[in-house]
Amino acid sequence: MSQMPLQNPQQFFSVVINHLDKSYDGIEVLKGINLEVPQGQILGIIGKSGAGKSTLLRCLNGLEQPSSGTITIHGKLFTGIKESDRRKIQQDIGNVFQNSNLLSRLTVLENVMFPLNLLKVNSKIAHSKALQMLHLVGLKGKEDAYPGQLSGGQCQRVAIARALISDASLLLCDEFTSALDIETSLEILELLRDLNKRLGISIILITHDMGVVREICDEVCVLDQGRIVEKNDITSILLHTQNTVTKSLIRNLINKDLPHHLQEILLQKPKTNCDILVRLFFSSQTAGEPIISSIVKKYDIPINILFGNLDHIRKTAFGSLTIKIPYNIQIINKIMNYLEKRGVSSEIVGYLPQDGEMAWNS
Amino acid sequence: MEQLVFQSFLETLIMVSISMGLGTLIGMILATFLVLTKPQGLLPKPWIYHSLEIFLNTFRSIPFIILIILMIPFTRFWVGTSIGTGAATLPLTVAASLLITRIIEDALNTIPKGLIEVGKALGATNLQIILKIQLLEALPLIISGLTTITINVIGFSAMAGTVGGGGLGDLAIRYGYQRYDFTLLIVIVIILILMVQCVQMVGNFLSKKLMK
Repeated sequence: MSQMPLQNPQQFFSVVINHLDKSYDGIEVLKGINLEVPQGQILGIIGKSGAGKSTLLRCLNGLEQPSSGTITIHGKLFTGIKESDRRKIQQDIGNVFQNSNLLSRLTVLENVMFPLNLLKVNSKIAHSKALQMLHLVGLKGKEDAYPGQLSGGQCQRVAIARALISDASLLLCDEFTSALDIETSLEILELLRDLNKRLGISIILITHDMGVVREICDEVCVLDQGRIVEKNDITSILLHTQNTVTKSLIRNLINKDLPHHLQEILLQKPKTNCDILVRLFFSSQTAGEPIISSIVKKYDIPINILFGNLDHIRKTAFGSLTIKIPYNIQIINKIMNYLEKRGVSSEIVGYLPQDGEMAWNS
Repeated sequence: MEQLVFQSFLETLIMVSISMGLGTLIGMILATFLVLTKPQGLLPKPWIYHSLEIFLNTFRSIPFIILIILMIPFTRFWVGTSIGTGAATLPLTVAASLLITRIIEDALNTIPKGLIEVGKALGATNLQIILKIQLLEALPLIISGLTTITINVIGFSAMAGTVGGGGLGDLAIRYGYQRYDFTLLIVIVIILILMVQCVQMVGNFLSKKLMK
């Protein structure tokens, strides 16, 4: 088989999942999952808690066995095989867990060496390799520290070094930034993206935070109630999704950018006498058009521009503008349709009671 | 008289160190077996696990003095005699093993599931997970548990006198209590206090040193 790599297209994929189902005690957690991850891709699996994303990851790292369906990793079948064969494949997969899960009684260096130690690699080789890995994750000089002496971000760096030391070409990350503050998570994500570029490793990360996905992922797969409801590249997901689950996940991202006092009074459902907040996304093609003034002229409504900024999805920059319009369902629908025709995506952020205006203007 | 005290001190030392040494070995094996076979363990065998648990709990609930008497036939079979320091060491070893099994089992069970999953996800064998993750991480707890049990066993060894086991406790009863030699009694109590203090200090030192 190895002489004819072209006849085995699965070799170009880090992971291929086919019709995977998983149930615990008759409760279906994952239903009919099909997924392909090309080598070198960063895939984000996003979903609310209970959507089944952790279970999917646990099937991928071999901690759980799917009830039916197959997983192929680097062209080798990973499911329904002998435990000893599975262990061999597991050794080529790096894992970064939610808590860094370092051994508290080993030094940083010994922790990084740990996987090689299990494989009975010569300790001199393991030692120099571990030093190299620590250098790679930016922890040079911390070799002899114990995990208890490190910050959360540093611990995750050690965990990443440990995950990659056995030359893993697939890295699985489980909500690994959720315990870190925003700045530290951005640093760690930066590191992962850098490792992805330099070493060509594939990364699958699961998260409930669209912010993480926006920073790093090439592709996004949205999981809801055990099914994949959407899979697309990150730009399309953020700008053009029609899926309600995806939209609700993105809404969290947008709401985070709202000023705090507006977040507090923001309503999820309209009521009488309220304003609607709409966020518009301008890409480089649509940025030149006088969209706002044409809406004002066309529909004869007052538009209050609340704020705008330059947003980004990985390398693509795009402008976003949040506007406030008096709520009227017919006009809103017309405006949204008009915007879509002009290639501007729009998103309803929420509703503001009209008395809230006082607070805003003052 | 000093010679008698020294002789008894040596007997206590021998009984306690042999029973603790063998007890730790047996306890380690039994605890590992329990942790492996427990329903959420790496090799779940609930039936074996529960039978072993019941067996161990039964023996744990027997008071030590009764255990010595119940074990006389076995002691005679294994040690050749049911009297003397050697004969007292066997029931002490059994009692120590039972206690040690429990503390090692508990210590191994405190290791977070996440650490065990790290090993599993790395493709480690069950033996590697037990030795290189669970035992390694639990070592400070095991050491402090062993310290407490050593002190218990020093106390148990006083009862070894019932089968002519000798040791400090036996001496204190025979000379200090039955012959009204209160000076000797006080001397022995002081020696025992010093022994316990030493054990505790060494235990604390080791456990602190291992805790990172």
